[in-house]
Amino acid sequence: MAYAYLFKYIIIGDTGVGKSCLLLQFTDKRFQPVHDLTIGVEFGARMITIDGKQIKLQIWDTAGQESFRSITRSYYRGAAGALLVYDITRRDTFNHLTTWLEDARQHSNSNMVIMLIANKSDLESRREVKKEEGEAFAREHGLIFMETSAKTASNVEEAFINTAKEIYEKIQEGVFDINNEANGIKIGPQHSTPGSPGSHLGGQQAGGGCC
Amino acid sequence: MFTRVKSAVVSFMGGIMAGSSGLEHVNGSDLPVRFSYTRPEFLGLSPDEIECSADHIARPILILKETQRLPWSTGYAEVINAGKSTHNEDQASCEVVFVKKKSGVQSTPNKNSSSKRRSSLPNAEGLQLKDNQEVDGITFHYWALFDGHAGAGAAVVASKLLHHHIAEQIPDIIDILKNSAVLPPTCLGEEPESTSSNSRTLTRAASLRGGSGAPGSPSTPPTRFFTEKKIPHECLVIGALENAFKEMDLRIERERSTYSISGGCTALIVVYLLGKLYVANAGDSRAIIIRNGEIIPMSSEFTPETERQRLQYLAFLQPHLLGNEFTHLEFPRRVQRKEVGKMMLYRDFNMTGWAYKTIEENDLKFPLIYGEGKKARVMATIGVTRGLGDHDLKVHDSNIYIKPFLSSVPEVRVYDLVQHEHSADDVLVLATDGLWDVLFNEEVLEAVTSFLANCDPDDPHRYTLAAQDLVMRARGVLKDRGWRISNDRLGSGDDISVYVIPLEHGNRVS
Ligand SMILES: Nc1nc2c(ncn2[C@@H]2O[C@H](COP(=O)(O)OP(=O)(O)OP(=O)(O)O)[C@@H](O)[C@H]2O)c(=O)[nH]1
Ligand SMILES: [Mg+2]
Repeated sequence: MAYAYLFKYIIIGDTGVGKSCLLLQFTDKRFQPVHDLTIGVEFGARMITIDGKQIKLQIWDTAGQESFRSITRSYYRGAAGALLVYDITRRDTFNHLTTWLEDARQHSNSNMVIMLIANKSDLESRREVKKEEGEAFAREHGLIFMETSAKTASNVEEAFINTAKEIYEKIQEGVFDINNEANGIKIGPQHSTPGSPGSHLGGQQAGGGCC
Repeated sequence: MFTRVKSAVVSFMGGIMAGSSGLEHVNGSDLPVRFSYTRPEFLGLSPDEIECSADHIARPILILKETQRLPWSTGYAEVINAGKSTHNEDQASCEVVFVKKKSGVQSTPNKNSSSKRRSSLPNAEGLQLKDNQEVDGITFHYWALFDGHAGAGAAVVASKLLHHHIAEQIPDIIDILKNSAVLPPTCLGEEPESTSSNSRTLTRAASLRGGSGAPGSPSTPPTRFFTEKKIPHECLVIGALENAFKEMDLRIERERSTYSISGGCTALIVVYLLGKLYVANAGDSRAIIIRNGEIIPMSSEFTPETERQRLQYLAFLQPHLLGNEFTHLEFPRRVQRKEVGKMMLYRDFNMTGWAYKTIEENDLKFPLIYGEGKKARVMATIGVTRGLGDHDLKVHDSNIYIKPFLSSVPEVRVYDLVQHEHSADDVLVLATDGLWDVLFNEEVLEAVTSFLANCDPDDPHRYTLAAQDLVMRARGVLKDRGWRISNDRLGSGDDISVYVIPLEHGNRVS
C-alpha cells in the first residue's frame, strides 16, 4: 500500500516486560496471555495517519533475554524510533533501563526518538515502580514517557503514534536526513523524484535482484 | 554468490539490459516471472515481514519460528547480504514427499503447513493429497538450499520444483528399492536374482556356447554369457537424483520461452530415504556431518579451480566454445605480448603439475580459467561451475555462452544413517557459501558443539538457535569498517543460509 513515509521502530527491554504483546496489540488488537519468548527478531507493520499523511510503521520486536543481547544490539542500526519498555510490577526491569539506554545510544543513530514505556498498568495491585519514577527517568534522559497496558490496550495506540509524531516533527524541522536510509526513514513511492525511479530508496520497489 | 558473476551482470546491464529497470527481465523480454520473489515457505512470512527481512542495514537474521514445520526438529536461519543485491538470492525448501507407485506423486507436508502447501503446489495436476499409504508408495524427506546469482529467478524456480522432479524419478523403482533382499534387476521384467545367488558368473564353456549363437528354446530361461555388474540399491537413488537435477535444468531451459527466469543457482540437497541420507551437491554450498565431535565432509565444491581439468578438456575438444577470445591453457599470470617466444610455465587439461612451453601468439588470449580462490572465474564471468539455469549467461560484450561449461550434475554422497548411533548433538549442517567463506569447518564444529552442549536438550528451538548462532558468527556485527566477526576478521557480506539437521531423529523414524 502506498505511504508517504516509512518509519522503522525497534522495541527493546528486559524479557517478559510485554514487548511482543504491545506489538500484537498495536497490529492485531489482540492480547497474548502466555509468554512466547522471542528468540530472535519478529516484525510487525501498520499504517497510521499523521497530519493527513499515510505513514507505515515497520516494527522490529527484539528478544529481551540476556543470551540474545548481542543479536538484539545489532538491530538498533537504522531505526528511527525505539520503544524502551519496562514492567511496572518488576523493579529490576526498571533498574536495567540505564543499560538498555546506553546500548541504544551507542548502537543507533543519534536522532533516534526513544519512547519510555511503563507497561502492565492494569496490574496496579502489583505495582513496584511508581509512575513518577518513570517520568523522572524519562525527563532526566530526554525521553517521552507513557504508561501502557498491552492487556487492556490502554495507551498502546498513543505510544506508537506519539513516537511517530515526534519523528515526523523532526523531519519537518529538518533534523533527519531522510535521504539516508540508515536513519530508519524511507520516503514512499509517490514522493520519489521523477526521472530517478527507486533512486536512493533502494528498497523493495526496484525490480529483481541484481549483483 | 553475489560477487561471483559480477562481469556477467555488467554485461547484462551494458548489453541486453540497457535502459531496462531490473534483472528480472534479463531475457530481454517482458515475459512474466515463473514464481515471484519470496522467502522459504516454511518461514511462513507475510509480505510485510519479507519486506523487513530485506533490510541491508541491520541485516535481521530470520529463523524458523514454528519448529514443527520441518521434519526431525530441523533448525534453520538465514540473513540477507550487505547490499550487493536487492533480494536475498539464497532460497531454501524442505518437504516430506510421498511418492505413489507408478501413478502420480503427492507431497505430504508437515502438520501445520498442509493447507498452505496445498494452495501453493506449482502444478496441481495429478498431485492429490491423501494420507500416507506406505504400501502404495514410499516417503522421502527433502532439504534443499539454492544460491542464486544474476537474479533470483532460477533459485526460486528450483526451490519450488526440484523435489517434484525427484519424485518423478522414483515411481518405477519403488518396489526394487523396498525389496532390499534382492539386487535391482539389470533388465526390468526379467526374473530377479537373489543377492546370495552367484549364478551370474558363468563358466567359460557356457559363455562360449552362448557366444557361438546357439539359440535356446523359447521356454528356457534367458542365459547370461558374461559377468554382470551388481548394482546396489543406493546407486539407483543416486541415479534418480542425478537425473532429477538434469530434468530440472532442462525444464528451466524450456520454460524460458514462456517465463522470465533470471540467472542461475547452485543446488545442495539432502534426501532421506530408507535409512540413508543422500547429499547431492552442484555448486559451492557445503554439507558436513558433525558426529561425536568429529567432522565428516558430505560434499565438495565445484568451482573453476576444482573443475579446471574438466573445463579445459571441454575447451580443448570444442575450441569454438571459446569464441576465439580465450585459451584453454592455464598460465600463472596473464601472458604479455613481449613474452612471445619465451618459455613460460603452463598447464593443460591433462596436468596437475606445471611445465614450460614456448609462448605463442595464441597464448595471449584471455585464459579460460583465471583468478585464484573465491576470485577464480570461468571466462572472466562466473565463479561456480555446477548448478541450474544460467542458460542466457554470456561473456561480457560478446556472444560467447557460458552454459556449455556449466554442469547440472550433482555429486552425490551417501551416509548410512541407521548404521550409526547418534546423540542429540550430532547434526548435519548445510549452508551456502556465505557461511563457509568466512568460517572453517572446525570453527563450525566448535560453534555447534559448544552451542548445543549449553542448550536445553528439550528446547524445541535448539537446532534453530544453533543455526542462528552460526549465521551470527558469519555475519558478525557492523563496525566502522564494515561487518566484522571474531578476531576482527571480515564478516560475510553475502546471503547466508543454514540448516542444522539433528541426526538422532533419523534413528528414531526407522
Ligand atoms: N497483565 C498484563 N500482562 C501483560 C501485559 N503485557 C504483557 N503481559 C504478559 O507478560 C508476559 C510477557 O509478555 P511478552 O510480550 O511475551 O514479553 P516480551 O517482552 O516480548 O519478552 P521477550 O520476548 O522474552 O523479550 C506474557 O505472559 C504476557 O501475557 C500487560 O500489559 N498486562
Ligand atoms: Mg517477545
